[in-house]
Amino acid sequence: MADPPAFESPVVTIGRAAGAGSITLTDESATTKASVRAADGTPAASALGLTFGCAEARGDVLVARTRPDEWMVFGTSQAVAAHLGGLDLSGYASTVDITHSRLMFRITGLAAAKAMAKVCSIDFSDPMMPSGACVGASVAKVGCDIIRHDIDDVPSYRILCDRSFGQYLFDALVDAKAEFG
Amino acid sequence: MTTRLPAQPNEVIDRSKPLAFTWNGKKMRGFEGDTITSAILANGEHIISRSMKYHRPRGVLTADFWDPNTSVQVGDEPNVRASHRALVAGMAVSAQNVWPSLKYDAKAANGLVGRFLTAGFYYKTFMKPAKMWPAYERVLARFAPGGKVDLDTPHGYHDKRYAHPDVVVAGGGPSGLAAAVEAARAGASVMLVEHEHDLGGHLRWGSNDDADALAGLVAEAESAGVEILTNSTVTGRYEDNWLAIAQRNHPIAVERLIKARAKVLVVAPGLIERPYVFAGNDLPGVMTSGAVRRLIAMYAIRPGNRAVVLTANESGDAAIDELERAGIEIVKVIDARTGATVTKASGSKSRVKAVTCSDGSIVDADLLVTATGWTAPTSLLNMSGDRPVYDPASARFFADSPPDNVLTTGGIAGDGNRDELISHGRSTGRLAAARAGVARHRIQAATTRATAVDGPEPAYPDDTRSPLGRDPHPELFRSTSHGMVDFSEDISSKDLFGAAAEGFDSVELLKRFTTATMGPSQGKLETVNTVAVLAEARGETLAEVGTTVWRPPYAPIALGALAGRVFEPVRVSSIQPWHEANGSTPILAGQWVRPEHYGAPQQEVRNTRANVGITDVTPLGKLDLQGPDVAKLLSQLYTNKWMQLAIGSVRYGIMCAEDGVVLDDGVTGRLGDEHYLMTTTSSGAGGVWNWIENWLQTEHPEWQVHVTPVTTGLTSINVAGPNSRELMSRLVGDDIDLDPDAFKYMQVRTGTIAGVADCVVWRIGFTGELSFEIHVPSGHGLHVWETLLGQGESLGVAPFGLEAQRIMRLEKGHFIVGQDTDGLSKAPTTGMIGLLKFDKDDWAGKPEVAWALEGDYPRIVAIQPTDPSIVPDEACQILREGTKDIVGRITSSRFSPTLDRAVCLGQVTPEFAGPDTTLTVQLVNGEQITARVMQHHAHFDPEGERLRG
Repeated sequence: MADPPAFESPVVTIGRAAGAGSITLTDESATTKASVRAADGTPAASALGLTFGCAEARGDVLVARTRPDEWMVFGTSQAVAAHLGGLDLSGYASTVDITHSRLMFRITGLAAAKAMAKVCSIDFSDPMMPSGACVGASVAKVGCDIIRHDIDDVPSYRILCDRSFGQYLFDALVDAKAEFG
Repeated sequence: MTTRLPAQPNEVIDRSKPLAFTWNGKKMRGFEGDTITSAILANGEHIISRSMKYHRPRGVLTADFWDPNTSVQVGDEPNVRASHRALVAGMAVSAQNVWPSLKYDAKAANGLVGRFLTAGFYYKTFMKPAKMWPAYERVLARFAPGGKVDLDTPHGYHDKRYAHPDVVVAGGGPSGLAAAVEAARAGASVMLVEHEHDLGGHLRWGSNDDADALAGLVAEAESAGVEILTNSTVTGRYEDNWLAIAQRNHPIAVERLIKARAKVLVVAPGLIERPYVFAGNDLPGVMTSGAVRRLIAMYAIRPGNRAVVLTANESGDAAIDELERAGIEIVKVIDARTGATVTKASGSKSRVKAVTCSDGSIVDADLLVTATGWTAPTSLLNMSGDRPVYDPASARFFADSPPDNVLTTGGIAGDGNRDELISHGRSTGRLAAARAGVARHRIQAATTRATAVDGPEPAYPDDTRSPLGRDPHPELFRSTSHGMVDFSEDISSKDLFGAAAEGFDSVELLKRFTTATMGPSQGKLETVNTVAVLAEARGETLAEVGTTVWRPPYAPIALGALAGRVFEPVRVSSIQPWHEANGSTPILAGQWVRPEHYGAPQQEVRNTRANVGITDVTPLGKLDLQGPDVAKLLSQLYTNKWMQLAIGSVRYGIMCAEDGVVLDDGVTGRLGDEHYLMTTTSSGAGGVWNWIENWLQTEHPEWQVHVTPVTTGLTSINVAGPNSRELMSRLVGDDIDLDPDAFKYMQVRTGTIAGVADCVVWRIGFTGELSFEIHVPSGHGLHVWETLLGQGESLGVAPFGLEAQRIMRLEKGHFIVGQDTDGLSKAPTTGMIGLLKFDKDDWAGKPEVAWALEGDYPRIVAIQPTDPSIVPDEACQILREGTKDIVGRITSSRFSPTLDRAVCLGQVTPEFAGPDTTLTVQLVNGEQITARVMQHHAHFDPEGERLRG
C-alpha cells in the first residue's frame, strides 16, 4: 500500500517574513492534536488532571486543559496515540482527532508578547500568562486557543484555531510582529 | 523680518538643522524642534487663521495643543494643530477656509452683519420654508469651517495595541513624572502618557534649575523602566479603568489607539491657562502668559515689541521676567490682584495696537499678556464618575471623591513649588503602586492560569499623602466689556447673555444652543468662562450654575485610530490554492472565499448532468457528536425522528427555533454506536453549534453528548453526475463497497479515499444527480481533489463552482434556509409536512409549528414564468392580478441550461400556492409577467430517479 500523502499546510509561508527579526513565527499545523472531553470524576479527567487554564509537558506530549471539561494533547502521532491509548474512557469521556481541524502556529521571541498584544486583548505579562498557561481568546478577531510553552526560557506561544483561517491569521501575525524587528 | 531671538538657554530648536517649508505658498525656513506655529512666527507672520463665523484674523493665543487659533492645512491633511505639530522639511502649510487670501478674506464681511449672526441664528433663520433647505444647505456649505479633504488622499496606516499596566499616569509634568518613577520603583508596571512632545510640563519653559530637575526625573523614569509615551493622550476613561490612549508619535502608524486596562490611573494633566474675556481679546497679539513663556523659552520667538501684562499669579509675574530677559519692552504691568484690569484691546484688523486699562488709561502696545487663572482639566475625573467641586478661593475646580483606583497629583490636586509638586507625585506613585499591587493580587488569585500568589491579600492602602495646598487666586473671568468666550466657535459673552435671556439659562442647554465649548478645544479653554458668564447673567455663583460633564475624548482623535487595524477574517478551504491557480472567480460567502465558477457556470452544469463534476463544499458546517444521548439531542433539535437511525445511515432534518421559525437544515449520519456526524448549512454552522450547546448546558445538562466542530477539519467534496460512481471506484480503498445495493442512497461509509484514511462518504447530493459527498481530513484535501481530477479525466470530470451548484439545486427544487426562507418562515412553509412529527414528546418549536399549521402560513412553491426566457430577479414581488396587493415574492431564480428555461422558487400566500395557479410577477423594471405554480418543488427529475441511481 502506498504511503499516505504528506500533510498539506494551511498556509503559504514563502515570501512572508515569518522568520525575520527577533520574533519567529512557524507553522506547526502538522503536529498531531487531539481533543479529549471528560466529565468531572471520570477516570480520564483524573488521569489528565491539570488546573483549567494550565498546560504541561508529559514525556513526548504537551497536555493543556483548555476548558473545564476539555484537554488538548499535542505531539507526534505515535506519542499522542500512546498517551490517549493509556486513558480509560469509561464514563462520560470521548476523544476527537483535531489535527486537521485546528491549525497550530508558534510565535517565539523575547518580544513575542508585545506582538501578541497587537492582536489579542489578553494580559500576556509573566504573572498572568506564565509558561504553562493556556487561554481561549480572540486573536485578530479569530477565536483561538493560546498556550504559552517557553523554549529555553524564551517566551513562546502556540496559537490554535480553525484551519480555514490559517492564511489570514498567519499574515496578521507576521504584520503584528513586524514592528519589533 | 525674523522674530527669532538669540539662543535661549533651554530652547528645543536645533539651529544646526534648518527645515524648508511653505506658508500659503511662500517659502520659509524653520528649525528642527519648531512647531509649525513657531516657524511661521519666526518668519515674521503673526496671523495664522481666520475665525469660524466672522472670519476675524487670529494669531497665537496659547501656543500649545489647545490653541484655538492655529488650525491649518498641511498638504492634504486638514485641521492640523500648528502649535503642536512638529515642523517637517517640505511641509506645504496653508490657512484654512479663507478667500482669496488669509490677509484679505472676503468672508470677513460676515463681521459687518455680525449683530444678526448671534447664537441660534441658523436654527431660527433656516427652518422655514422647509422646502428651501436644499438651497440653504448648498450656500451654508460654502461657509463650513475647517480644511479640505481630498477624497483621493491615501488612507494612513493606523494601529492598535492592548496593554495591561499596573499604573497609567496621565500627564508627564513634574508630579506625573515623579509618580511614574516611584510607582515603577515599587514594582509596578507603569505607562506614562504625555500630551506634548516632551516630558516636563511647565518645567520645560522654566528656570535652569527647573531644566536640571526635569533631566533628573526623566533619567529616573528611564532607569526605573517606565514605558514613556509622548505626544500621546489618555482620551477616555471607562469602567474599571479601561483607558483609551491615542499615541500620535508612533514610527509605523499615523496614530495608534492603545486599549489599556490599568489597575490604577493617576490623573496628572496639570492646569490649562484660561483666557480672559474683554473687548478685543481675540486680536492677534493678545496671548496667555504661558504662550509667551513657551514662545520665548522653547522656540526663541519674540512675541511682540511693546508688552502690557495683566497678571494675577506667578505665571504672569514669570512672564514679565521672561519678556524682560528677552529684551522686550514692558510698557505697563497691570496687577489684577489689586483689582485693576484691562477693559479693551484695540488696533488694526491684524494686530493689537493699544490697550485700555480699567483706570481709563490707554497704552500703546503690540502685545497684551494675560495671566488670569487656571482651568483644571478634570475630564478624566468626570469620566471616572467624579463631579469636581468649584473652589471660589482658588478660582478653579478640584476633585470631589474619585474612585479608589483613580488618584490625582500635580496642579489638578493643588498648588506648590517644584519640590512640593514632585514630592506629592512621589507619594502618589507609591500609593498607586500599592493599590495596584492589591488589585493584581486579587486578579491573579482569581485566575487559574496565573502564577500563584504569595501569601494572603495585602491590606488595601489608605491615602495618607500630605495634600498640596491651594493658593488663593482672584476670580477673573470677564472684564467690564464683552469679548470672545469660545474662540473656536466665535461665541462671545454677549452671545451667552443673549442666549440666557432667551431662556437657555441651563448650562447644558446654553452649551447646545450656542455651541460654546463644543469646538476643537473641547472646552478646555472655554468651559469655566462660559459657566462664569452664565452665572453672571443669572446672578448666581459658579457652584450654583454647575458645569457640563466632560466626556470622551479628552482630545480629538482620528477616526482612523478608532478603527485601528482592520481585521476582517476570511476562511478558505484546503483546496483554495487550486481554485486560485485554475481561473476560478472568487465570491465571498460570509467569511468564506469560495469559487463562484471557473469561467462558464452553465457549461459546468451541463457537464455535471452529462458526465461528472466535483465541487468544493468544505464550508458545510460539520459537527462531531459523541455520547450515549446523541439520539435524544437530535430528536430535540430536528422536527423528525432520530431514535432508530441505523449505523451507516443518514437522515435529513429541519431545525426550528423556539418560535417555530426554520433555523437550519442538513443531514446527520450515524458513524458508530454513539458517534454521529452532523452537517449544517454553511452560514449556520456557528449558530447551530451554539444552539446545541445551549440545549446541552442549560436545558438538558444530564444528557451525555460531546460536540466538536470539525467543519474545517474535513475538506468536503461533492462528486456528482452519472459517472460519479465510476470515478469513485477508482479512488476508494477496499474498505468501501460502492455497489448500489451495498451503499444505497442516504447511507454513509467510512474508509480510505486516494490513500487517505478516515474519510467519510455519504450518498446524498444537492444537485439531484447520483452523487457522493466525501469528507477528507483537510491535511489531505488538496491531494484527494487533484486525484479525483486526474483519475476522472477519461470520465469527463470537471470542477463546478457555487453558481453551478445553485442552478442545479434550484432545478431540483431544494430550498436554502435563509434565502428561500426568512426570519418569519416556520417549518410548514418549507412544504416538508411529512417531517413534522407531532407524536414525538418534544422538539424545539413544536407548539408554535402546530399553531402555524392551523393558520394560513405562506408556502414555498416552484414557479415557471410563462415566457421561459425571462428570469425574474430574486425578491421580485408577486402580485394579485390587477392589483398592487403583494401575495408573495421570488426567492430564487436562475436560467436552467438543463431545461432551457427559467426556474424559480418563491413564497406565496396559500390561495396562490396550488399547482397551475397563475401568478403575476412584477419585474424590477416595473413590467409584469405571468408565471405558473408547478406541481412539485423539483423542476427536474421530480421522482428522484437520477440521484437514487
